[in-house]
Amino acid sequence: MTAADISEPDAAGEGTTHSCDAVVWIDEVDPRQAIAAGGSKMGRLAELMQSGVQVPQGFAVTVDAYSRHCRESGLDERIDAVIERLGSSPTDAEVESASAEIRQMFRETPVGADLTGRLTEAYEELCLRAVDVNVPVAVRSSATGEDASDASFAGIFDTYLGVSGIERVLDAVRNCWGSLFTGRALAYRLRKGISHHAMPIAVGVIELIHARASGVAFSVHPVTGKSDRIVVETSWGWGEAIVQGLVDPDHVEIGKADGRVLKYDVAHKRIVSAFDFAVGAVTEIDMPAKLADRRVLDEEQVGAIASAVRSIEEHYGYPVDVEWVIGRHRRAGDPVCIVQTRPVTVTAAPEEATPATYDPVALAQKYLFSGKPIPGR
Amino acid sequence: MANVVPVDDFATGEWYPGYKPEHFDMPWIVDPASPFKPGDEQGFWFLDFHWSRGLTPLAATLWSGDGYCWGTQHAAESLPLPPGRGVSARFAGTHLYGSALPETDPHEVGARANRIATNLPHFLQNYRSIWEGGRDELENTWQYFRGVDFAGTPDLTDLLVKGRRYHKRAMEIHFGVMYPMLANFLGFYGACADMGINPNEIGKFLQGEDTKIMETDREVYRLAMRARAAGLSDVFDTHEPHELRAALGREPGAGPWLTEFDDFLQVYGWRAEATCDVGVPSWIEDNTIPLGLIKTFLKKDDEHDFEAAARNAMAEREEAIENARTGLTREEQAVFDAGLQSNQEANFPWWQDDHNYYIDLKVMLPLRWGCQELARRENADHKDDMLYLFWPELMDVVSGRKPYQGELKSLVGERRQYFDHWHARRSEMPKVLGTIPEAVEDPILIEIFGLNPGSIKAVQNPDAATQTVMKGVPAAKGTARGIARVLQSSDEMHRLEPGSILVCESTSPSWTPVFGKIAGAACDGGGMLSHAAIVGREYGVPTVTALGVATISIADGDEIEVDGTTGTVTILNKAATTSAATTTPAPTADAPAGVAG
Repeated sequence: MTAADISEPDAAGEGTTHSCDAVVWIDEVDPRQAIAAGGSKMGRLAELMQSGVQVPQGFAVTVDAYSRHCRESGLDERIDAVIERLGSSPTDAEVESASAEIRQMFRETPVGADLTGRLTEAYEELCLRAVDVNVPVAVRSSATGEDASDASFAGIFDTYLGVSGIERVLDAVRNCWGSLFTGRALAYRLRKGISHHAMPIAVGVIELIHARASGVAFSVHPVTGKSDRIVVETSWGWGEAIVQGLVDPDHVEIGKADGRVLKYDVAHKRIVSAFDFAVGAVTEIDMPAKLADRRVLDEEQVGAIASAVRSIEEHYGYPVDVEWVIGRHRRAGDPVCIVQTRPVTVTAAPEEATPATYDPVALAQKYLFSGKPIPGR
Repeated sequence: MANVVPVDDFATGEWYPGYKPEHFDMPWIVDPASPFKPGDEQGFWFLDFHWSRGLTPLAATLWSGDGYCWGTQHAAESLPLPPGRGVSARFAGTHLYGSALPETDPHEVGARANRIATNLPHFLQNYRSIWEGGRDELENTWQYFRGVDFAGTPDLTDLLVKGRRYHKRAMEIHFGVMYPMLANFLGFYGACADMGINPNEIGKFLQGEDTKIMETDREVYRLAMRARAAGLSDVFDTHEPHELRAALGREPGAGPWLTEFDDFLQVYGWRAEATCDVGVPSWIEDNTIPLGLIKTFLKKDDEHDFEAAARNAMAEREEAIENARTGLTREEQAVFDAGLQSNQEANFPWWQDDHNYYIDLKVMLPLRWGCQELARRENADHKDDMLYLFWPELMDVVSGRKPYQGELKSLVGERRQYFDHWHARRSEMPKVLGTIPEAVEDPILIEIFGLNPGSIKAVQNPDAATQTVMKGVPAAKGTARGIARVLQSSDEMHRLEPGSILVCESTSPSWTPVFGKIAGAACDGGGMLSHAAIVGREYGVPTVTALGVATISIADGDEIEVDGTTGTVTILNKAATTSAATTTPAPTADAPAGVAG
């Protein structure tokens, strides 16, 4: 049983995905076309899956689907009119007001019948695969274009966790589309002289992993750039509270060469991203007192995260950061689930890299004769 | 923005009575020593804690010339230190101020960096033969002087010249070894700190190696226990240190113990109470210090277990190393292991204590013996009178070119008064003079003298006398509360009781034994690698260094708390002013034992 049998029988063959497909599945899309069709976020998940990394099931609402929606609903003209009115050097307030206006248009413009049909079909397929009714999903913006992986865009587009039922999924998709026009994104493109048409947005709809713990992991130290270690930050529940900086997470460092835990600093974790059944979404609430100071990860879990990070870095050949989830039903020995990855932009300044050997001359030069205070003083 | 403390008060052109600039005619490389002179406010000068008594004319000129301006400048050129050219010296009255000489020319700094790139590895590969070769050379010269019959030598000129050469050569060896060892250690230190190792742990990696100074302490303690066994505790209890030798001589049954004591002195007693100061006696010349140490050891009822302390130091070392390695990546462990091995072989903290036995505490003694023999021949009033001459005057007297009696003798009288005048002013001396930077770069000034940004700021605090909480370098962990004893020099060590908190400018090896009885220590100067820091860690005595103004802020008798973990010293209760006044001896009324005169 594959999605191809149901949704796109003629798209299963390698290299045959049509550019006009509204939906591509992570496990079916040709990795070489994955980013173009599904945006960088979803494209990388497809690449990871093909390379054997555990990722959640899901599909991307493609950039073509977005473009067709804007074109056929008349949104394009209305958006262009708003942007034209802004001119080349608007005030911050004008940008914010334009952003609010455009995002309101996205929320009020219904998805056409054809696309609604395709998305409903795909969502039902995901429910079938997950053996669940109205399976909760994560709906994530997945931008395209050269600037999409720019650090300026980190966290700028919307993500909705725990969305359940096709109506809510459609709303979340439209909100993600609208987040291409946040004030920050608008201002960025105006400053750089980039048209929004040059960076259309895709949206990922992926099965929500019921998280016991989540976090981020870096295949190099995110601050010093030291490449001899893996750094993991983690808390209970879903990763949103960590990504948004709402919780002070546990901090773990692991030696890359031998996988030894070098340090594990347990933080006092005040906030947790948890599934709110009443709202039907993951939201941030106060951490239960008994969990706040408890160490999140055991040695085996740290090892599984480090192992995944190492293989992702090897696959890409450059340093990466990842978002990962440990599901409620994961057992020791199972891989952890990777929900996002991207290249790390930080690189080690030469003087901060771990020296290869003990060189007393170089060290004396660095710490004694450089005119800078010795660290730790 | 640099603060400038004027030197005008001290740059008057006046110095010791009869002083002439040519009295400082000694070799130097970059900058010669002198009294302060106009223009010196452009440099940064710090009051050197090594000589808190002040220096006699001969001690002042020989140390500042042959020690600092030859020894350090020579070593800084030959290693070389790329941005540093050694230390120079100035005098305000009898008190020595030091200053690091910077190299600022970028081309020169680069050329010097190339030279150290060759010379430092060479030194480290040959450390043992270089240090032991230098040490043995000095020991041979020392044995030569021990074999000389000073009284039976008709012309003392040659012996005095040789005595000075011995000291000067010792300083070449001293700084020639110290600079590269310190560079290696601080490079390792920086690498450890950068790898996330707690800097307070780094000193532990190299502790637990026995030194000649620690060996001496154990022997002093053993003698104390022997005195107790011989029933001499009461004699020690009822006499002041300077009365003890005579009292023991009168005591029936003390004979065998005194024989043991004298045998001990023949091995360990050739040490003066100050670093390279020809003006102070050795333990053999003046028994007051070792007998005073034995007296205080006897006041403690519980026995100090040196072996247990040594075992603890080693166990703590191994634990610290293991803990540090656990947190390092494999790549970092390779760097750490190699750096640790290099520093265990050329162990700077160990050397920093051990070398004092061979160099600092005894290399001035032959010159002192020659001066005392000359004083005897010249019928001087006091055996130390020649130490109040300058070197050219001393040469005139010893060679018979000029009589001592008459003009020189009266000058010596005036110079003694000058010495006493400035000795009494020590506690008022500014801690720093000239252009005060926010930070200094010289590793010796930072790690040995404790001139870090915090202490440099502290010494400029106009409210130093009234502050009750001060921060310094957390040198040895733990917390202690007790009554402060504010000492000007090791001459006052007998005022320390078991449980006292030592407050002083800084310590040197002559202070080591008191760490067996004090509860804590707070020092104006001294960094992580200063004597007080190293010995405080070995003895487990909470110690804070580099406070800048502890001797100003804390009064004798104050109840204070020393937190050697955080580097905080707090005055809990001020002593009543009357009791402080009675416990602090007036310097002129009771001439401290170590002061010449």
